[in-house]
Amino acid sequence: MANFLVWVVWFFAAFACLASALAVVSFSNPFYSALALIGNLASLAVLYLVLSGEFVAAGQVLVYGGAVMVMFLFVIAYLGDRTDESPWSGGPSWQVVGAILAGGAILAEVCVVVGLKAGGLLSKPQHIDRSFGSPEALGRAFLTDHLLAFEVTSIVLLVAAVGGVVLGSHARQETDARA
Amino acid sequence: MHGPDIQWYVILSALLFATGALGVMLRRNPLIILLSVEIMLNSANLLLIAMSRLHGGEDGQIFAISVMAVAASEVVVGLGLIVAMGRRNIELDVDKLRTLRG
Amino acid sequence: MAAASWVCLLLPLASAIAIALAGTAITRRVAGYVSTATTMGAFVAAIVAFADMAGKGASHRGTATTSWTWLSAGPYHFGLTLLTDQLSIVMMLIVTGVGSLIIAYSVGYMDGEDEERRFFAYMSVFVFSMLLLVQGGNLLLLLAGWGMVGLSSYLLIGYYQERESAIQAAKKAFVMNAFGDATMALALFLLVQHTGRLDYAGVFAASPHGGAVANLIALGLLGGALAKSAQIPLHTWLPDAMEGPTPVSALIHAATMVTAGVYLIVRCHPLFENAYVIEDLAAGLGAATLLMAGLIALVQTDIKRVIAYSTMSQIGYMFVGAGLGTYPNAMFHLMTHAFFKALLFLAAGIAIHAVVGEQDIRKLAGVGKLMPFTKWVFLVGSLALVGIFPFAGFFSKDAIIASALDRGWYGDVIYVACLAGAFLTGVYAFRLFFIVFTGEPSAFAREHFHSHHGQEGPISMLWTVGTLGVLSVVGGLLQFAPIWHLLSTWLDPVDAPIAEATSAQEWVTSGLAIVIGLAGIAVAWAIYGAKRIKVPRSLPLFEKKFYWDELYDLVWYRTGDLVSRGFYALVEAPLIGGSITAVTGVVGLGSRELSVAQNGLVRSYALALAGGLAILTVVFLAVR
Repeated sequence: MANFLVWVVWFFAAFACLASALAVVSFSNPFYSALALIGNLASLAVLYLVLSGEFVAAGQVLVYGGAVMVMFLFVIAYLGDRTDESPWSGGPSWQVVGAILAGGAILAEVCVVVGLKAGGLLSKPQHIDRSFGSPEALGRAFLTDHLLAFEVTSIVLLVAAVGGVVLGSHARQETDARA
Repeated sequence: MHGPDIQWYVILSALLFATGALGVMLRRNPLIILLSVEIMLNSANLLLIAMSRLHGGEDGQIFAISVMAVAASEVVVGLGLIVAMGRRNIELDVDKLRTLRG
Repeated sequence: MAAASWVCLLLPLASAIAIALAGTAITRRVAGYVSTATTMGAFVAAIVAFADMAGKGASHRGTATTSWTWLSAGPYHFGLTLLTDQLSIVMMLIVTGVGSLIIAYSVGYMDGEDEERRFFAYMSVFVFSMLLLVQGGNLLLLLAGWGMVGLSSYLLIGYYQERESAIQAAKKAFVMNAFGDATMALALFLLVQHTGRLDYAGVFAASPHGGAVANLIALGLLGGALAKSAQIPLHTWLPDAMEGPTPVSALIHAATMVTAGVYLIVRCHPLFENAYVIEDLAAGLGAATLLMAGLIALVQTDIKRVIAYSTMSQIGYMFVGAGLGTYPNAMFHLMTHAFFKALLFLAAGIAIHAVVGEQDIRKLAGVGKLMPFTKWVFLVGSLALVGIFPFAGFFSKDAIIASALDRGWYGDVIYVACLAGAFLTGVYAFRLFFIVFTGEPSAFAREHFHSHHGQEGPISMLWTVGTLGVLSVVGGLLQFAPIWHLLSTWLDPVDAPIAEATSAQEWVTSGLAIVIGLAGIAVAWAIYGAKRIKVPRSLPLFEKKFYWDELYDLVWYRTGDLVSRGFYALVEAPLIGGSITAVTGVVGLGSRELSVAQNGLVRSYALALAGGLAILTVVFLAVR
């Protein structure tokens, strides 16, 4: 019974995920695309929960949804409503045809590669205990096995912060000059 | 594992990635392109988490968190550039940015 | 004695080098004297060698001395070997003797320009080359001398460099001789392949008897002989070679170089006897040439050309002799011919020299009245040429003709041809004599005749011509076939003849030849001397020299021209030029097409990325 429920939830989440992804790509108004992406992220968080990654799900909502998307929405609001032509107008050009072909090829290849190369390992999901995906487990992993990744990521964040400030400060100097 | 087996996650992740790729290749607004890049990154995250669950170790989730952090940084820089473009009244259309031509 | 041979060979070379190195420091007279003196010195050395040789027994006369091994490659060793045997000493004496007389003559004949130092150097080079040819102990040295005499001939024919006709004639001679050189070289290759050596003794012992290889070898050697001796079909260069100065015509194209072909056949007679067909071919070609040349000589108007065709005709006799196998008689005729032909050329040269270099017999007509000495020596030469007793040609030519009877029906045909040739010889030789040296002088001759200090020419010209005249009279007494055979006996160990006429045949032939020769003289007298009969109209066939030049122009030049034009149009321009143009075109086209991809659009670059990723994934899947 519980399994059946999980399946239902999974289907809904997956459907929402795909629909919202297509919406992101299709809307001509960037505001609507951003909102659709928020939906995508939320459904992905649900999927993470199904996969027992509670901390990651929380992080996804907080970081992506709470910070990244808010930033997106601010910028979109700031830059005004510069509508873009929907890609589905103008008929099939080289770019469109090529893009669809390449996209389809990558789709097929990902499935094939993963299936071919990891065949034996994919058949037996491991048993997990309750502490799988918990903050303590992740924290311990970060600070012991993956300390380098942890440190490097923090440096990347630092660099990005500095870069953002620099990019923004140039803009401010310009507006000061113009004012 | 409750729910679908790993193949479903692989297929879902691949579909998401392809959608994101289409968005990058077909849209002209840089903001939408950035959003599509986010979709691609998220698809990779999904697969990582799924594989982590399959193998029973947290390595995949660690990696997913790192990806999230890096994606956030990249969005910061990208949006900063776009704002700078908007400030200079450059049209937000990647087809108009042709100085790489030749 | 060996030293004498080396001295004989190297003196002219030393002279050539000395004149060349001295350059402008010496006058042309000094150069002339050096050249003459060294050639005379070579003659003296040859006499010393001859005397030494005569003192030995008949079978010990050949000596071969090798100074060093010249060419050593694997199992093949060729030395710088000089062979002095009975045959080569005869040639050495002729070359140096007649050569020194002619070079002495040319000191007086040439204009006196400083440029003539070059002339005398070339003459010395020629004498050296000819001596190398006849003294060479192996076929390789013979070939070296062969090529060098061809070079000397080229240099001397084209001596008057400013004259376009002279340059063309020199080239023509050289190219035709090069053809002969090539066939000879091929024959030598075959010999080396089949015998592994080139020295005469070894080659004659080891060469194959009969069969295709022997025929090819003999044919190759014959090709060289035909080219050098100007026989059909490689004869067209000789008349044009008259562009050179008269002493050159006398020495190279009458007395010595053109007889090298005969020497070759006589020297290599074992090789030719292994290939009877080729020997008969040589005799046949000689007979054809002597008839053709005689007919052409009837209509020539240039005095030197008449004598040139006469040379061609007489060498035809020598080829008949060598081809039939009567080698000593061929050598005998070679010797007497050297005397009287050089005499004829040099005497004509005196006339030419006296009348401002004019060579047309119609303009020179009657000059004999103004130059009696020349007239008499020319008469002596002409009689020797026709073969009238007791002059030299009588003894040598008739012996050859008679021996033709020893060779079956083929020899009989040649016999008739030779007698017909004797008739023609009488007509054309005395046509020349009667036109130029009898009768009243023409207006041109009277106007332009210059005597040289009261004499007909410089003294150097007169005494040399006189000497040759004497030789033409007495030279034939060396051998009278039915009675005494000094030369044949001398040459016998080296060249035993394979065709000999009987005494009776000799007497009959001699009688017939004299009668026919006199008949020819009578006809010439009737037409040109006493002018009783009108001059017959000449055939264009004769005047056009039997159209050989036109034939060669058609076959070689036009064909070559067409082929090269065809290659240019079909291969050079489209293929070679086109391929280079195609390369640049393709590169340009490719870069133009590929530059479409560099459009600066980010999206298309993203598409390229995605497409590349897709393709590479497949590649990696397939490879791993």
